[in-house]
Amino acid sequence: MTMTSLGEQIRARIPYQRRNAASLALLAFAMILTLSAFAEVGLARDGTIPSGLFVYGGGLVILAVVAYVVQLKFASYADPLLLPLAVALNGLGLAMIYRLDLDTSRDRKVAEMAGKHFLKDAADVPSQLMWTFVGIGLFVAAILLMRDTNRPDAPLSFTPKKAQRYTYIIGLTAIVLLLLPIVPGIGASINGARVWIHIGPFSVQPGEFAKLFLVVFFAGYLVNKRQAMSLIGKKVGPMSLPRARDLGPILVIWFFSLGVLFMQKDLGTALLYFGLFVSMLYIATQRVSWVVIGLGLLAVGVFVATQLPFMGHVNQRIDIWQNPTPYYDGGCLLDSGKVVPVNPNTDLFKAAKAAGSSFPGQSACIKLGGEYSDSAQLMKGMFALGEGGVLGTGLGQGQPWQTPLSFSDFIFDSMGEELGLTGLMALLLIYALIVQRGMKTAVAARDPFLKLFAGGVSFVVALQVFVIVGGVTKLIPLTGLTTPFLSQGGSSLMANWILIAILVRMSHDARKPAPQSIQDEGMTQIVSTR
Amino acid sequence: MDKPIRRVAIFGMLLFFGLMIQVNYVQGSEAESLRNDPNNARQYQNVFNSPRGQITAGGEVLASSSLTGKDNPKYGRTYKDGLAFSPVTGYFNGGASKVELAYNSLLGGTDKRITHQRWFDTFIGKKAEGANVELALDPDAQRRAYQLLKNGTTRRAGAAVIDIRTGAVKVLSSSSSFDPNLVAPQTGEKGVKVLEQLDGQRGVIQPLIDNGMSQTFPPGSSFKTVVAAMALDELGMTKTSTVNTGPLILPESGNPLPNSHDGGSCAGSAPLIGAFAESCNTTFGRIALDAGIQKLHDESSKFGFNRHWAIEPLVKPAESDVPLSYVDANGNKVTTGRDGTARSGIGQENVRATPLQMAMVAAAVANDGKIMQPYLVQKVTTKDQKTLYEANAKVFSEAMKSDTASQLREMMRAVVNEGTAKNLIGQNIAGKTGTAEQGAGLPNARWFVGFSPIENPRYAFAVVTEGSGDGASGAGPIAASIMAQVRRK
Repeated sequence: MTMTSLGEQIRARIPYQRRNAASLALLAFAMILTLSAFAEVGLARDGTIPSGLFVYGGGLVILAVVAYVVQLKFASYADPLLLPLAVALNGLGLAMIYRLDLDTSRDRKVAEMAGKHFLKDAADVPSQLMWTFVGIGLFVAAILLMRDTNRPDAPLSFTPKKAQRYTYIIGLTAIVLLLLPIVPGIGASINGARVWIHIGPFSVQPGEFAKLFLVVFFAGYLVNKRQAMSLIGKKVGPMSLPRARDLGPILVIWFFSLGVLFMQKDLGTALLYFGLFVSMLYIATQRVSWVVIGLGLLAVGVFVATQLPFMGHVNQRIDIWQNPTPYYDGGCLLDSGKVVPVNPNTDLFKAAKAAGSSFPGQSACIKLGGEYSDSAQLMKGMFALGEGGVLGTGLGQGQPWQTPLSFSDFIFDSMGEELGLTGLMALLLIYALIVQRGMKTAVAARDPFLKLFAGGVSFVVALQVFVIVGGVTKLIPLTGLTTPFLSQGGSSLMANWILIAILVRMSHDARKPAPQSIQDEGMTQIVSTR
Repeated sequence: MDKPIRRVAIFGMLLFFGLMIQVNYVQGSEAESLRNDPNNARQYQNVFNSPRGQITAGGEVLASSSLTGKDNPKYGRTYKDGLAFSPVTGYFNGGASKVELAYNSLLGGTDKRITHQRWFDTFIGKKAEGANVELALDPDAQRRAYQLLKNGTTRRAGAAVIDIRTGAVKVLSSSSSFDPNLVAPQTGEKGVKVLEQLDGQRGVIQPLIDNGMSQTFPPGSSFKTVVAAMALDELGMTKTSTVNTGPLILPESGNPLPNSHDGGSCAGSAPLIGAFAESCNTTFGRIALDAGIQKLHDESSKFGFNRHWAIEPLVKPAESDVPLSYVDANGNKVTTGRDGTARSGIGQENVRATPLQMAMVAAAVANDGKIMQPYLVQKVTTKDQKTLYEANAKVFSEAMKSDTASQLREMMRAVVNEGTAKNLIGQNIAGKTGTAEQGAGLPNARWFVGFSPIENPRYAFAVVTEGSGDGASGAGPIAASIMAQVRRK
């Protein structure tokens, strides 16, 4: 206890200053970035500043200024980077969706004039602006709700710390949210993953919110149990193994993640929850053995998934990742491991079509006794990246809409086409900075629950970006997750803005001067909580 | 708890680091191969999005790209005197033919020779610009040839002129022809339909198939040049050897092989040069019978017959043939018999040749037996005048001995001075006439194949037109007029 901990060292260096001017300057930069992006789209396409600049760009400016004022007033010691970084991402995503919408809505008009059915999945900038509005509104509301008051009994005040009291209720809520999509009647399957529910006219992905609830639950649970889980156990070689009864929670989460995987066919989300739990377990206990056990369980889970006949989905994703070419526009994985192309140019496809099948590729594959899959989306995303090269084609000057879901799952590839490697490196740096500021907040936090909370929230961003961006750049097998702040979709935007609000509030707590001790004699004794 | 948080933070940063490496790998080093992936439809959609290089000849711009003012296609293509030049330039509408096809990647700016020199522009994403292609053609002669051919026939006609020392093709002309402006990218769907219609024509007139190098005709008596070269080279004859010019009864059918006239040199016996000048069929029928079809076939191969070869990448002239056998209408293989061999000796039966091939025969005569590899493109330069490609003269074949060539030059001069083409005296050209029958009710293929100037020849030519009458009048004056224009350079 005499050694100063890392947290103390960092806390000792924090100036406990308000950095609101820096935050405002950075915010102004994020605005310029966004407005320039809108202007570039218009200049490249029509040679004029687009009217969308004032509607969409202007709307974002007003929202961001409101968010800034609220942060200035109610979380004045907040980390100055978080809000500008989130605004920059949100703004660039909005500009890209605006740019995609210009093309897809034109296609839609042409299709409608020709009396053809047009895919309903399309870039839709008005609704994305609306969700941005709602998202930043939630940020503001969350900051207000979590405002810093000296009165613990202030009305309608709910600081992150207070969440610890409701650990189990929050955990239950998370599970309910996760299970909602498989409830018949309100659940819906979109693009092969059953992660949606319908509420009135809206489709919501409850998983996006469940993510936050799970972090709170894990933090609250692990703070209570970490002593037992970290101290008791047998030492085998360099590792100390936990007691069998302490293995319970990790097994529960493991089964739960596998359940998500099997019921919702959503490998990305399963990976996200399990990775999150293992990392938080490690933070709480500091035992490497938990990580090893976690990775072992993960390997077993993925192995089981690839062996089960009804989980061919997972198997193919892996095969497509390794060898996408034969799957282009349709490929058929046989039991022997051989891939037979069944794209529209093949005789197999033509024969099945002549036989009257409405999905000739799939039925040709069923006839062969294999599993059908299509890599065209992944490949088109990669072609978009190739088109972009180092500096990109410039916003509005590429053809990112050629990739299916270019505005949601594949928005990172769309960015890559028009902003190039340079733009993608900048985007990755923005994400990395958000994670780094979050982790710094965790280290600087004064309470173990808040440490776990902030660390978990930050890590979940890193993991999510890794899974989706790694997927669309073919670093890892592709699984569907949203790209935080960039992807079109209300649930993701709302959840991520709340996440930023939580980090802002916690960084305010961590960075504000420690309460002065009442007696003025000597140093305030700080008890390390490690 | 701080230490594990820091470790997890480092792990998170490693995840981002991994992503950054992957993005660098994909967009930095894999971009080129992704762009050229066979499944990548974008490479085919982008062909109208950047200007193609120009095709020029003698400083004249024959094909160029310009903005259409529309989104798709962004750039159109304009051809100057398209009817005259399309046998060489070809067309471009996404697909392409001739030089537009052979130099597609250089014209379009996607060739490695361009992209590798412009690595920095590629790095900053500036699209490579197409290179300019300079043809070997003489544009004025090409235009004159087209006019003369068009006026000289109501059916088909073709002409080829090559520089005997380099192989540069100075004229490659055809009638009928087509205007590539009608199928250029800016014509859109209409152009596609026009192209389909042109491509679908199955009659005698097929505008997309040029008659200069992509169509074969029976060479008739002009083929006697090849037979004479064989006689001098292989059968120990000289131009003064006495040959039988009297009547020849074909061995199989018992029918006579007729001469065009039975007086003069063709009256019974004459020196070879006289039989050549007056084009006595019986003499060359006998020489072919003595040598046999195999020997005749082998001799013609020395000039480029009986094989497919490329004049430019992907562009192959039609194959000229002296067939040992042919497949009849019932699909049976029929060996060329004795009668057929005799008729092959006068360029009939199933012997067929392109004007370009016959110009190469004349080139061998004019250039001491050596044929230089013919080519259409002189050089390719980038927009900033860097040379990416330059044609270099190389030998196509050694078709005959130098002495044989020298004797054949004498014989070709005799054709004009005292033989079948006396109407061309004073035109500074020498050559061999040919009047090939193409079957009952069909017009003759009228040839004049030779070289110019008479002394120290520089160019070899072949002209064919379809119509009634003979080669001396049906092709000779056209050849004389084209060569007068070519010599002006």
